[in-house]
Amino acid sequence: MEALDHRQRAERIERSIAKCGDADHEMKIEGAMLAGTHWVNFILHRMGVTRGDLDVMHSYMLTVNELRKYSVADAEMMAAIAEIEDIRPAHVRGNVPGGPAAAKRALELLATLRAKAHKLFV
Amino acid sequence: MNIASHLDKIDRFERLRERLDTMGDFELWFWAAMNTGTNAVNAALHHAGATIAEDVFPTQPGVYLVPGTDGKLEPAFRPPGDVLHVGRPKIEGKLPEDVTAMMQAMEVIEHHRDPCIRGERDATPEIAAECAQALEKVLALLRQRMSTPGKAWKP
Repeated sequence: MEALDHRQRAERIERSIAKCGDADHEMKIEGAMLAGTHWVNFILHRMGVTRGDLDVMHSYMLTVNELRKYSVADAEMMAAIAEIEDIRPAHVRGNVPGGPAAAKRALELLATLRAKAHKLFV
Repeated sequence: MNIASHLDKIDRFERLRERLDTMGDFELWFWAAMNTGTNAVNAALHHAGATIAEDVFPTQPGVYLVPGTDGKLEPAFRPPGDVLHVGRPKIEGKLPEDVTAMMQAMEVIEHHRDPCIRGERDATPEIAAECAQALEKVLALLRQRMSTPGKAWKP
């Protein structure tokens, strides 16, 4: 997917997240993962690190070499998307107390990714 | 996860999906539908005694976050509990017909996941309707199953 498409999809998902209420912590986290991944791909494509035919899907599915390479591009970006992914098992698939706080953290990380994309390329 | 928690998530995801615009919010609408269906399949698998209903949470097939004695979650290998998606992992053995039908309906939804959410295929009202119809079937089968006595998982 090309960079512009990633940006448009990220922004659309963020508008959808805004419709989530206090009881929707799972979908805030999932939305942060989906939109955040689009921002990561947007940044990597615009930096010329990856092309439109090589999109990151989940940080945990990357090879060690890919993760190292993309972390050279922006280590904080890769750490942010990995932290969002790490929130999911306990609070999206699980019922661990603290879901709303976890969602708040996921949205903070998403804001970090969005700010990076805007600062660099928008 | 325990069945009551699956049912609670289904209820909240469905209420959110009602507030979302099917096409304008397609990604989150679809994701909520897929999560609803996956929770329904997990609840049905637990109810049928095919998987364990316990509060451990999958990170990848076969690996679950398990609370330690201090309450902290640690990854560990476990027998089948919740699936991440239908088929991840595949649940071995003969399953009840209704649960198999639920999983087949979920395949209809999963088929659109990567192309429409991560790929370049634009979602259409027809795709959304197909997913909504498949999910309705999943939930109808779940309601029917939940009205009957369940079984405990036996290894």
